[in-house]
Parts: sequence; structure tokens; C-alpha cells
Amino acid sequence: MIEIKNLSKSFGSLEVLRDITEKVEDGEVISIIGPSGSGKSTFLRCLNLLEVPTSGSVFFDGVDLTQKGVDIDRHRQKMGMVFQHFNVFPHLTVMENITLAPVMLKKRPKADAEAYAHKLLARVGLSDKAQEHPRRLSGGQKQRLAIVRALAMDPEVMLFDEPTSALDPEMVGEVLAVIQDLVRNGMTTLIVTHEMGFAREVSSRVLFMDEGRIAEQGPPEDIFNNPQNPRTKEFLGKVLR
Amino acid sequence: MFTNFFPNLGRVLEKYWGLFIQGAGYTLLLSFITVLFGTILGSILALMRRSRNKPVSGFATGYVEVIRGTPLLLQLYLFYFMLPELLPMLNLSKFACVAIALVINSSAYVCEIVRAGIQAVDYGQTEAARTLGLNGRQTMLRIVMPQAVKNILPALGNEFVTVIKETSLASTFFVGDLMTQYSTVRGSMYLVIEPLIVVGAIYFILTFSLSKAINAFERRLKVSD
Ligand SMILES: Nc1ncnc2c1ncn2[C@@H]1O[C@H](COP(=O)(O)OP(=O)(O)O)[C@@H](O)[C@H]1O
Ligand SMILES: [Mg+2]
Repeated sequence: MIEIKNLSKSFGSLEVLRDITEKVEDGEVISIIGPSGSGKSTFLRCLNLLEVPTSGSVFFDGVDLTQKGVDIDRHRQKMGMVFQHFNVFPHLTVMENITLAPVMLKKRPKADAEAYAHKLLARVGLSDKAQEHPRRLSGGQKQRLAIVRALAMDPEVMLFDEPTSALDPEMVGEVLAVIQDLVRNGMTTLIVTHEMGFAREVSSRVLFMDEGRIAEQGPPEDIFNNPQNPRTKEFLGKVLR
Repeated sequence: MFTNFFPNLGRVLEKYWGLFIQGAGYTLLLSFITVLFGTILGSILALMRRSRNKPVSGFATGYVEVIRGTPLLLQLYLFYFMLPELLPMLNLSKFACVAIALVINSSAYVCEIVRAGIQAVDYGQTEAARTLGLNGRQTMLRIVMPQAVKNILPALGNEFVTVIKETSLASTFFVGDLMTQYSTVRGSMYLVIEPLIVVGAIYFILTFSLSKAINAFERRLKVSD
């Protein structure tokens, strides 16, 4: 589904991603772990070209997104993204947050979009919040809204960048539960996370990033129980305590 | 000298209250025109400054810097004398020349107000919108601008207050504003201080009530945030 070839990214003289080649298959659930500053967010953001790669290619459904003339907006519709800080739209109601893009970009009739939104809201336990403004929601509710907003576009893949890192501890579970539900239903997912228990439980594959490279990868059992790379060992030693 | 102050004040008001009201009217009209067209022109300039096209953004930046870096009085003189020579067929009135100069001056300040208002919107909003597939223009219109307006409107109100005071410089060209009326009254009554106090009081009433209104409006915006 996504094929990354020789992807590099620099900010000025700072090399953040170094020649990454990787493939994401349909239905895979990939956790990306690694120390802060190792390039996890940049990697994820290069997949939908929020960051423009310095060199290399990102193929999505066979199309090289880095080529000039590619309608990136159309491809982004199929790649949902959820951010650490939710980024819900504060000037819109919960319902408007969800229906804005489908109505504007997919030309869905408003009534259909709203019916679908209600279904999605029910799925994440926010049925009673449809007419609220986001300022009335807790952090966990905002993040669930952000997930629903992305799902309303029927994406083929979901990208999560530390979706629980900005949450109070008691709200982490409700958001992880929603992601877990998605994953169970077969959504292709890439998630940057510090929740090692979650990564171990839900992912089909774990990527360990270090200094702009994928330093080690494999099934979660291997990475967590039997890491090979000394940097992976060191990192897990620090976070798994 | 001050023994006659209050009687004189009374005489000034009694004889010329109509002129002062008229002057206040012109001042408000001139200010309104300035802020209205200054806002339109300033918003266009702000969008130009954000343009990726270098000549376009460069022109807007230069315009703003030059206007903000030179005195308004100088600009008034320049336009007052230059416009009729440059565009003789338009037959521009004194009032029009002064108004154009004020609009051009104000647009540079409004440009910065709009730019700051847009910049104050969290960049994450733009990223979230672009991620959903909205293009740059859709993102600006549906996501960024509606939020930026809340920052921009109160600042525009304050610009209105500033402009009301600045229009007094236009009286150099006797365009009928409050300060012009002051000169008229001073000339005919040989009184300097008393009419000045009256005019000052009117300016203050205008700006003070406007400021209060803006504050109230700003509080309401905050609540609905
Ligand atoms: N827009 C940017 N401009 C300059 N440097 C950046 C930018 N984004 C990220 N970086 C730098 O790139 C490196 C990797 O960042 P990031 O991908 O956010 O790491 P991670 O998500 O693994 O913590 C960091 O050193 C960070 O400071
Ligand atoms: Mg990060």
C-alpha cells in the first residue's frame, strides 16, 4: 500500500531521515518506537507529504507522491492522520468538525455525512456530543473526535503521531481502546507511540528508529523480548521499567 | 485670563455647536472610509505578503515598510499635491485626496494586523485541514480565517480609534473635520484654549466610547471561543 524508497529528509544541515526504504502492506499495524528526536514524526509526516522529502520516493497505491503534478490533496483524503495535540477545529461543532471534509471534498449530501458521523460517534462513545463545541470536551474526547474526523473520509490507512502523549493518564485508555477497535477491524495503521504495552499487544510489526534510520524491526515479540541492536536494548531498558 | 474661561466656553458652544457636530461628522466619515477601504486594501496586502510569488510578496513588504517608516503628514502632503497632477481627469476633491492618503496609510497597518491575526492561529489547524485533503485556499477560507477574524476584529477597532485621532492631521488641508472647525472658530472668536477644549472633549468622547464598545465586543468573542 505504501512503499518508501531511499527516503531522506534534512532541515537545513540537520539530517533527520537517512535513506529509509520500507514497505507497508494492506492490513499491517506498525508501531514506530525510538528515542525522542530520532525522526519518528518526520517519517510519518513524509508519508502524506506534510514534510516534503529532500530525496527519495513515497509510493501510495502505486503513485509516487513526491512527483511534481501529483494531486496530493486527493491522496491525502485516503490517509487519515491524528496528531499529538488533537488539532480539532475550535470554531466548529463536533458534527461540523466531522462533516466538513466529506461534504466539501467528497460531495457527500449533508444528511448522509451526518448520519455517518453519528454512526462513528457512537462507535467511539461520543453520541451525546454531536452538537457540542470542542472546548467543552476533555482531552480524551477531543482526540476521539480527531480520530472520527479522519475516519469520516474513509481512509485506507491511519497515521497516528503519539496520539496519547498529550493526555492526562486517566484518558489514555479510552483513546487506545478506540485505536485498538480500528485495528481489529482491519485498518492499516502506523502509530508512533511511547505506549510499549500497547505496541506489543496490537502491532503486527514494530520499527525501532534511531538517528534517522530504522535501526531494527520485527514482530513485537522479537523486538521486545529479544532485541538484537544494542541501541534497541538501551532504549527498551530505559522505557520498560 | 482664566476668569472668563467658563463663560467663554459657553459662548463658543452656544454659537458654534452646529459646526462642531458637523466637524465630528466629517471626522467620523473620514475615519470610517479610511478603515473600511484600509481594511480591504490591507487584507489584500496581507495575502500578497503570504504569497509564494517573490515579486508579489516583495512589493507588499516594501509598501508596508515604506508607509510605516514615513510620517503620515508627509504622505498627506504628497498625495494632496501629487494626485491632482497625476490624475487631473478625475478632478479629485481635497477631501478625496486626503481620504486616499489616509486609506493608503491605514492599509499598511491593517496589513500587519491581518497578518498577525492569521499567524496567531495554531499551525496545527492548517496541518489538520491539509491532512483531510483541503487545499490551501479551502484551508484559509474555512479553517484559518474564521479563527483569525477573532484576533483581527478587536485590533481593527483599535485601528479605528487611532485613525479618528490621526484624521486631525487632515485639517492641514481644511477638509471640514473637527480640527478644521477648531481653526475656524479660533479665527472668528479670537479664542484659542476654549474651542480646543471643546474639540478635545469631542475626540475623547468618540474614542472612549468606541474603545469601551470594542472591549465589550472582545469579551463576547472570548466567551464564544
Ligand atoms: N520543521 C522542522 N524544522 C527544523 N528541524 C526540525 C523540524 N521538525 C523536526 N525537526 C528536527 O528533526 C529531528 C527529528 O524530529 P522528529 O521527527 O520530530 O523526532 P521524533 O518524532 O522522533 O521525536 C529533531 O532534531 C527535530 O528538532
Ligand atoms: Mg515526534
